[in-house]
Amino acid sequence: MITSSILLGITTFAYLLCALLYLSGVIFRRRTIMFWGSVNGAAALVIQMAGMGLRWWESYQIGYGHVPLSNLYESLVFAAWAIMLIYLVMEYRTKQRSLGVFPAVFAFLAMAYASFSTGVNSKIQPLLPALKSNWLIAHVVTCFIGYAAFAVSFGISILFIARESRHETSGNALSLLPNLRQLDELNYQMVLFGFLWLSLGIITGSVWADLAWGSYWSWDPKETWSLITWLIYAALLHARNMKGWRGSRVAWMSIIGFGCVLFTYFGVNFLLGGLHSYVNIR
Amino acid sequence: MQKSFWQGIYKKLASPKLTVIIFFFLAAASVVGTLLPQGLGEAELQRHYGQRAIWFITTFGLNDLYHTGWFRFLLFLLCANLIVCTIERLPKTLKVFRRREEQVDPQKLTKCSLNCQFTSKLSRDEVEARITNIIAERFGPLQRLDGAGYMGGVAEKSRWSPFMVYVVHLSVLLVLCGALVGSIFGFKGSMSIPEGESVSEVMLEGSDSGLNLPFQVRCDKFNVSYYDNGMPQEFRSDLTLIRNGQEVLKQELRVNDPLTYDGITFYQASYGAILKEAEVELTDRESGAVRRFVAPFREWVDIPGTRYRAQILRFEEDFRRLGPAMILVISRAGREPDASWILIDSDFHGNKIENYHVRVLHATRIAYTGLQVKQDPGAWLVWLGFATMLVGIGLIYYVSNRKLWVWAAAEEPGKRGTKIVIAGRTNRNELSFEQEFKKLCDRLRAELGQEG
Repeated sequence: MITSSILLGITTFAYLLCALLYLSGVIFRRRTIMFWGSVNGAAALVIQMAGMGLRWWESYQIGYGHVPLSNLYESLVFAAWAIMLIYLVMEYRTKQRSLGVFPAVFAFLAMAYASFSTGVNSKIQPLLPALKSNWLIAHVVTCFIGYAAFAVSFGISILFIARESRHETSGNALSLLPNLRQLDELNYQMVLFGFLWLSLGIITGSVWADLAWGSYWSWDPKETWSLITWLIYAALLHARNMKGWRGSRVAWMSIIGFGCVLFTYFGVNFLLGGLHSYVNIR
Repeated sequence: MQKSFWQGIYKKLASPKLTVIIFFFLAAASVVGTLLPQGLGEAELQRHYGQRAIWFITTFGLNDLYHTGWFRFLLFLLCANLIVCTIERLPKTLKVFRRREEQVDPQKLTKCSLNCQFTSKLSRDEVEARITNIIAERFGPLQRLDGAGYMGGVAEKSRWSPFMVYVVHLSVLLVLCGALVGSIFGFKGSMSIPEGESVSEVMLEGSDSGLNLPFQVRCDKFNVSYYDNGMPQEFRSDLTLIRNGQEVLKQELRVNDPLTYDGITFYQASYGAILKEAEVELTDRESGAVRRFVAPFREWVDIPGTRYRAQILRFEEDFRRLGPAMILVISRAGREPDASWILIDSDFHGNKIENYHVRVLHATRIAYTGLQVKQDPGAWLVWLGFATMLVGIGLIYYVSNRKLWVWAAAEEPGKRGTKIVIAGRTNRNELSFEQEFKKLCDRLRAELGQEG
């Protein structure tokens, strides 16, 4: 009997394989290997979608019945899916296969962390009354599309810096990468896309909080950190458009921004949780 | 002197550098606000921090950072920066928007970063017909700007796109204005209504004072259901609003489904139980004398057979994870009252006050429903701001202003064919426009038959 955990387990290793294929494609400069990386990535995406769908169905079998977007495990799985989806769409539109290593590694890490860490409960849990709302779906989906775009942008930024620090030589492992100007432009597009979805995510969260608690903004750590992330990326967009920043400065800001994303996602739960728990203060 | 000072400030406010700096300061302040617990009182500060740290925290208001004057000043500065930048730039954008080109100059076109020029074998008229068609297909209609002896034209997409930045900036102002209006003219608070009772007072958030609503809220019934693992599944209250003795509204209130009456919105936020009264047994550990009495919550009662009085001062449903507990105070004439936490459900050995052992024989609890109450006349501004922001950022991402110029003229007498110059410009997403432009040029070259 196929269960969602089997499908998601397969997905985890499929992403690992996908990352290895992309990596060998870049290192050995073989476009065919990278092509198989893309095929692998797309297949993993489909299997994962089936896995999430099945988990959704299973939750109804247990009697809890909710979209699988409600806890850390489910959000990690969705994050992996969103990263790969956004990357593959970008790959299709730009015809650049050589940027796949980072997205595939992130997707694998998210899945592996979700599956193997003892700190992440993979059981289907019932929903607290406050979470029972269609806004949950809107909020989580929009936020994670934003996070995923920033993850892809982070990957591009790292490659930008790596590529910039080496001189153009044809025998270089990075020679299949797009040129610096293309990387910079792609990075900007990705940040702008992520910024749009992060804004949507913050706004849906805010509207939902107003419906559930009667306050659209209450400076709770999660909220505040999402605002910090928003500010950092807003600063990046302004620096690029108004001050004409390009290249490595923008790449570094994107890296800092992604650090904020990670802190918003994990840090607030694990580090600030003990110091400033939502429950204690209220 | 005075004037140049203000001009200096105005100039600073108009700089995009300031925007980025404000963003960083806001971000940094917010980081501090999340690392340091907010809303700590004097006593808690004393417990966790040293004297100098406390001085620092209270001087800069770091324990209530988001409501301090300097944080608000940063937000104000952001607004001022936005407004001044708009005043500075909007006229220029408008000027560019209004400007219609009157002629096409091939010299200028070749100076554009995106341009291509070639000579076609075809005659000018044929070139003109085909070019118009191809550009119309990909770029929309070509607006003709013919001059003496040449064909000129401009095609443009999304001329309004440069205004979207202003739309986003307006949206930020709307959100902040909405928040300001809400904080001045609105209120936020909570109500705890025991089942069966009516309450009209709202405890305001962040202050000790209350506010009386012009009507009463009665909780007719409170219901909570649980999952099999003990987590609450759903809770709801049947509420009746009573104005001047008349029932004006009867409605069920659920989580995530607020109720609004007379501009005031109620949210099902929490629930719990309060102690109505308890039957208490005191055993004198020296004499063995046993005394029993019933004490209503927060009311002094005489302890029978003594000249002492007792009161239940506080109740907690789960005191330090030990279960329900209450504070019992025993007061004796001429002495300081004695008080202690008493566990209600167990005959705990620590249940003692002075020389008495205390046992709670029976406790009557009633469920209460916890409501959040809010009036926010600025909320619609915030929602409007949110919607505007999404439209603005969305259009910035998806739409860019693209412009294409075409110039064509017959070769000098004696030569065959037609000279063609094309140039393009975009305000965003240069790379994809570059590709599109290249494709267009390749197609034109192929279809118009490049000479040589």
